[in-house]
Amino acid sequence: MGTADLIKIGISIVVFVICLVLNIHFKGIIKNLGDDVDKKTLKKKKRLKKLCFTGIIISIWFALGVFITWFSGKHLGTMHIEFSMFSDRSTVELLGFKLGETTIYTMIIVLIVTILCLLFRFLVFPKFKEKPEGFQNVMELCVETVESFCVDATGKKAGKSLAPYMFALAIYLIFSASFELFGLRAPTSDLVVTFSMGLITFVLLNYFGFKKLGIGGRFKAMGGPMVAMRPIMIPMKIVSDIAIPISLACRLFGNMLGGMIVMELLKGALGGYASGIPGIAGLYFNLFHPLIQAYIFITLSLTFIDEAMEGLEE
Amino acid sequence: MGSAIAMLTALGAGFGMCFATAKAVESVARQPEAASKIQTILLLGCALAESTAIYAFVVALILSGK
Repeated sequence: MGTADLIKIGISIVVFVICLVLNIHFKGIIKNLGDDVDKKTLKKKKRLKKLCFTGIIISIWFALGVFITWFSGKHLGTMHIEFSMFSDRSTVELLGFKLGETTIYTMIIVLIVTILCLLFRFLVFPKFKEKPEGFQNVMELCVETVESFCVDATGKKAGKSLAPYMFALAIYLIFSASFELFGLRAPTSDLVVTFSMGLITFVLLNYFGFKKLGIGGRFKAMGGPMVAMRPIMIPMKIVSDIAIPISLACRLFGNMLGGMIVMELLKGALGGYASGIPGIAGLYFNLFHPLIQAYIFITLSLTFIDEAMEGLEE
Repeated sequence: MGSAIAMLTALGAGFGMCFATAKAVESVARQPEAASKIQTILLLGCALAESTAIYAFVVALILSGK
């Protein structure tokens, strides 16, 4: 620890003590003022108190940053960026398969969700009443929103059977996005995971398409109303159908990876001072943005399934 | 170099999103009561326009050889 670090810590301790004393001082003043003061002076005093509180937090953050820099050797402005496009597949090996870290995280998420489901089923559900109140309201609202969303998008019969899958998908996407807030790699920032979810959508859209229209009807709907154009239109339609899972997978993957890279850059640029600030930035890049992407993934899946079920208008 | 050229695609995504947002603002100004519905559609459209830029980003990452 050099003299510069000692000076920095000294400054932060001095600021901390001054702000703490001022904070207690203003607290006492506000208490003693009573009710018969005009609102302007009260507001001013409260603002000064808040300023002192901010000073306390900043000095703690600064001292923490100096300590972490001293321990880890990551100085401000020197970039330490560790990121790879595909997740690490060398650490865990199970039954001869090399598992990526995102696969492990996926299993952890599935475990958490399963335990939560079992807890809800056996502890919360028996307490449900005829008239919903409190937590029951929230759950019923979630289920009904997803169901009406699916029914609106794909029609009554398919929507009802799709709603559970879409709800599960939403929960999985939200959980995996929030995994990144803990500093772990989100499962959806791996192309394998997103591509498998895109493949599920592909299977679903073919299943619902063939079930509704039949094999002949599906190809007729693909070819369009003009008989002469069908030999050209059907291969084009098939190619565009095959592109669906790829585009879905790349969209989700790119978004999650982009957010991850931005966060890594921020952490790398801040070095040892990277406590607090990345958490606040992560609320946008790791929580809000993936939520929108999850919404878009579900909406697009439903739209494609609806498109596959559309027959020719006679 | 190739990855830099690939990222030029972001231009197109930017223009697409700008047109979509301009139209959405226009229609909200004309019909303020439909704002929530327009917002949902705008969000979806913007994400679709953005996806071009994201494809470019993925391609750029692949080209840069990480």
